[in-house]
This record gives sequence, structure tokens and C-alpha cells, in this order.
Amino acid sequence: MVWSSSLKNKCFFYMRRMLKSKTLSYIIAISLFIGFLVFVALRQRTPINFSRLAGYESLILEGFINTIIVSVIALFGSIILGFIMYLMTKSKSQTLRTIADVFTEIIYGTPLLVMIIVMAFLIGPAFNSFNRIVWALSGIIIYITPYMSNVYRSVFKSISDEQYMAMDLFGFTATQKYRYIIIPQVLRMLMPPFMNNFSLIIKGSALLNVISHRELFFTISLFQTRTFAYSEGYLLMWLLYIMITVPLSQLTKYVERRWSLE
Amino acid sequence: MNIKIKNLTHAYDVNVLDDLHLDLDGYHAIGIIGISGSGKSTLLRILAGIEKPNQGTVEINGQFADDKHYKQNIGFVFQSHTLFPHLTLLENITIVLEKTRGIDKQTAKKTAIENLTRLGLDDQKDKRPNKVSGGQAQRASIARALSVNPDILFLDEPTSSLDPILTDEVLSSVEKLKGLGKDFIFVTHVISFVKDFADYVLYMDQGVIAEQGTPDMLDNPKTDALKNFMNKVR
Repeated sequence: MVWSSSLKNKCFFYMRRMLKSKTLSYIIAISLFIGFLVFVALRQRTPINFSRLAGYESLILEGFINTIIVSVIALFGSIILGFIMYLMTKSKSQTLRTIADVFTEIIYGTPLLVMIIVMAFLIGPAFNSFNRIVWALSGIIIYITPYMSNVYRSVFKSISDEQYMAMDLFGFTATQKYRYIIIPQVLRMLMPPFMNNFSLIIKGSALLNVISHRELFFTISLFQTRTFAYSEGYLLMWLLYIMITVPLSQLTKYVERRWSLE
Repeated sequence: MNIKIKNLTHAYDVNVLDDLHLDLDGYHAIGIIGISGSGKSTLLRILAGIEKPNQGTVEINGQFADDKHYKQNIGFVFQSHTLFPHLTLLENITIVLEKTRGIDKQTAKKTAIENLTRLGLDDQKDKRPNKVSGGQAQRASIARALSVNPDILFLDEPTSSLDPILTDEVLSSVEKLKGLGKDFIFVTHVISFVKDFADYVLYMDQGVIAEQGTPDMLDNPKTDALKNFMNKVR
């Protein structure tokens, strides 16, 4: 009797520990999501049939690659423009600071979709330019710029005044300060928020379909209108975006942990 | 060391260091005490040449504090450790030695380890500041300040951000530095440390040196201000 009750306790102990374990909880959470997807897929009027994708793989791949290309361009564009904007907010000139301030307010107040449309169909033509993708992409870049500027601000602020004082005391030259102390710290701290914004950009790039750019959303729409495989298209589209953004966010968390200086 | 302060006047916060004069010679550990806002930290920073006074001159060992080369011969420890967070304790020291003093890698490493060992940190040398305790980080700051072989080491309330146990840990390692033949000027709230370590004490009150003398003055204060202060800190 004594023996069996201790065995029972042991069983309970292991079960509780399993339920508490992180891996198991992730398996449960992900299974719930997949279960939900399967439920949704099974409830469609016409049964889901992924074989209808046959022949369109290269079209969808093209969209997938284009999404990544435009997102990378927008990322680097906004990293550069964000830095310029950050410098403007730090400028001694009141005019430059005010310009940055007003720009930020206007951009914050504009939905990304509206920004893309305005750039491609309103501002571009005003300059006699009908290269829609360039203008639309600039729209995304401009939209992310204030967020990038904020990233720079918080990162540069996190280098304490005392660190600067210490550098001065030891007699580091300006170049040495940046090369050995400031930039190495800043780069580590910038990486995670850059990656977060990259994810924002990837998601936002889906809106480029309004100018008929052949990114993922658009190529899948093409596939859908040609095959009428709407459910398959939406499902695939969703999964493909998640396939980029979720690993990216996991990588961000890893980098954040690994490089943290706090 | 030899300290000469003439007509030192400097505005800080809402107060003013008001026409300070001082002429001291032959002391090796000068403690500056006083309540917050009395001007003690400001005075220390001016003595170290970090802050330039509005008026007056500071001369230590024959060199003016605003002299370009003055900072080469001093070490300064701030209230919170100012270690560079992306570098290990060891690298924090070697980078200073290599880049600002032109010392070669091997010698820099040797000097760094020597000073870290002196502060009891040889086993922590490869950790980053965020992986050691506040007391250890502050001790590493002291090791770094010492590694440039300064004549004078300035300490600005080096333990104000630490709990009593870590405070004791840091201050007792500072006391062990007495034999190094260096001079110290420090601001602290820890009176027992002043009594043990200082050979001269300046008591600051409202921007002036209200009382000064050897540490036994703390047991028989002459001015009411110091009497009050000693009653409060006890």
C-alpha cells in the first residue's frame, strides 16, 4: 500500500513537471493553432486541395522573393533615413528640429496604405514620375523612418554621460571614442529594434499589391484569379508571411538575449 | 601632495562655491564630507579638472587643473561604475592602456591583471560588467583608474549606489591601496571610512569649507554645522 501511494505521488510529480515545462507548453500552444487551422480548412465550402498549386510554384516563389527584396531595400533605406532624421532632431538648428517634428507627426498620422497610395498616385505624378514601385517603396521607407529615428534616440541615450566623462578623462580621441566604445555598443543595441522594424516592413510590404507590384500578396492574388483556388491561396499566403516573420522574431529575441549589455 | 586653491568661485545647482581658498601640503588622503548640495562633489570635480570653475585657480603638485596634461596624471572614480558595458573587466582596462597610453598588448594585459588582482578581481576578469555585482564593478572601475598609474586618485562617493555590505567591500579594498604611494582625494558619506583612511578632512557646508583639519576634528567639532552633521550621520 505504502509503495503504491508513493508511486502515485511520483506519477503526479512528473505530470506536474511536464505541464510546467516550457517545451511542452509550446507544443500545446502550437498544436492548438494548427488544430484551429485544420478546423478552418475543413470548414471551407470547397475542400482544400493544395495540388491546385501545381504549375504556380514559380509565380508564388517570385512573389516571395520580391517581398524579401523590397523589404530589405526598405529596411536599409529607413535605417539611413532614420539616422538622418535622428540627426535632425538633435540638430542645433531649431528649424531642422521643427521640420523633423512636423514630419514625424504627419507620418504617425498616416496609415501605411494611404502613404503608399499618396506617394505612388499623387506625389510621384506631381514630379512627372510614374515609376510607381519606387514611389511606393519610398512611402514604406518614409513611414518607418520616424520609428527608426526613435530607435537611434533611445540607443544613443543609453550610453551614460558618465561613460563619456570617463572617455574624456582617459583621453580618448573623438575617433577612438566612436570606434572602440560608442559604435560597438550602439551596434549591439540597434540590432534587435532594427529586426523588429524589419518585421513591420515585411508585413507592410503586402500593401504594395495596390500598385500591382509582384510581391507575395499580389502573386498569390494572381494565382487565385487564375485558378479560383481562393482558400488555398489565403492559407498559403498567411503561412508564408508567418514563415518569415516568426523565425525573425525568434532570432530577434535570441540576439537581444545574447547581446544584452544590461 | 600639494594643493593650492585661490579665489575659487563656481555656481552649481542653485548654490555657489563661494570664494574658496586652500593651501595644503604633505597630506596623502584628503576626505571631503558634507550634506548633499554642500558643494563637495562639485569641488572634487573641479579639483580633478573635470569641471572648470567660473573663477579662481586650482593647482595641485605644481600643475594647474585646467592644464591639458593634468588629466593624464589623475584617476577618477565616479558614483556609479563607468565601465564600458560591451567589454570584459580586463578589456575595460587594456583598451584604455593600449589606445590612450600607447602601451603594447602584453604589457597592458599584465598591468590590467595586476590591478584587478589588487582589487581582488582576478577571477572575474573575463566577465562583462553586467555579470558581476555592483561592488565588483565599482572595484573594477577603481582598478581601471589605477592602471594608468595616476599620481592622485579621486573618488566621488564611490559607494553611494551600493548597499552596506558592498560598500564595506569596496571601501576596505580602497584602504588596502594605502601602501601604493598614491595620493587620494575623496568624497564619501561613510564617516568611519574617513576616520580610518583620511589624513585631512574638509567639511563643506553651503558652498564653503566650514571646518577643516585632521580626522580627529570629527570627534570634537568646533562649528555648530559640523556638530549637527556629526549628530545626524551617527
